[in-house]
Amino acid sequence: MTALVTHSHGLTFNELKNLCALTDGNLNRHLQVLEEAKLVVSSKVSDKQRRQTCCRITALGRKRYVDYLAVLAQVLKDAKAREEGKATVKGARTATE
Amino acid sequence: MQDLEHALADIHLIRHQVARGTQFRGYGPGSIAVTGLAALAVAWGESLWAGHGSHDLAVNLMIWLSTATASLLLSGIDTWRRARRVHVDLAQEMLQAAAEQFIPALAVGALLTVVLVRMAPGEGWLLPGLWEIIFSLGIFASCRFLPRSMFAVGLWYLAAGLCSLMVGSGPKVFLPWTMGVPFGVGQLLVAAVLKICVDQHSEGA
Repeated sequence: MTALVTHSHGLTFNELKNLCALTDGNLNRHLQVLEEAKLVVSSKVSDKQRRQTCCRITALGRKRYVDYLAVLAQVLKDAKAREEGKATVKGARTATE
Repeated sequence: MQDLEHALADIHLIRHQVARGTQFRGYGPGSIAVTGLAALAVAWGESLWAGHGSHDLAVNLMIWLSTATASLLLSGIDTWRRARRVHVDLAQEMLQAAAEQFIPALAVGALLTVVLVRMAPGEGWLLPGLWEIIFSLGIFASCRFLPRSMFAVGLWYLAAGLCSLMVGSGPKVFLPWTMGVPFGVGQLLVAAVLKICVDQHSEGA
């Protein structure tokens, strides 16, 4: 999804396979699930007399991915705040002792 | 702790990359059209008052810089509000990317004006043409981010700027219509392109 969201014109199946370091079957399965969820669309394109599959992220996919990033960032910020809180308490205890 | 900071920095980077690959839909066709109509109205008013052009550069600068400031404020506020509504979570990144692409042209235009007014006030007639050429560069820089047909609007500003320099070189005075027509028509073209894009997007949604 990260690879597709940063290439708005889409990526061919082979480009995506190289970027994700996946096997054909594995990537196919991933794309199938994402297509069923309407997050990705794939189409056949002709390039140098070769037909290739081009995958693009949909508007819904982009929105869901950005939402996911926001949630992930919030989780990390909360974890960071908790770690900072723990460090402060530990520092205060050490100073008291 | 370092891992968390690293992960947050990665997310920040991904959000910026997503913003750079997304078409900016923050510019509002309505406010842009108003700025175009304002340019035409000011040129009409000035041509009634100054006839075929005024030799007083200070007056011309005051009139057109006030118009530009009011137009920038209007479209700036509208863009900020629209971007927050349309791009929601990515609004900040999208606004930053849009500003990075267009503000250099505005800054160059402002600095060029200061230098020209201070060093060669007699050549003030060059300003409309130069402003239009610099504005076209701002549009070309933003094209990657906007509907493809915006490139044609950039060409309009470039051609208008070159024509303004040719027209102004005769009388060597600041001609109101060399400002009004290029910016008036240009901004109306920008508004039309944006409106068509908004309509297509809402049909596609």
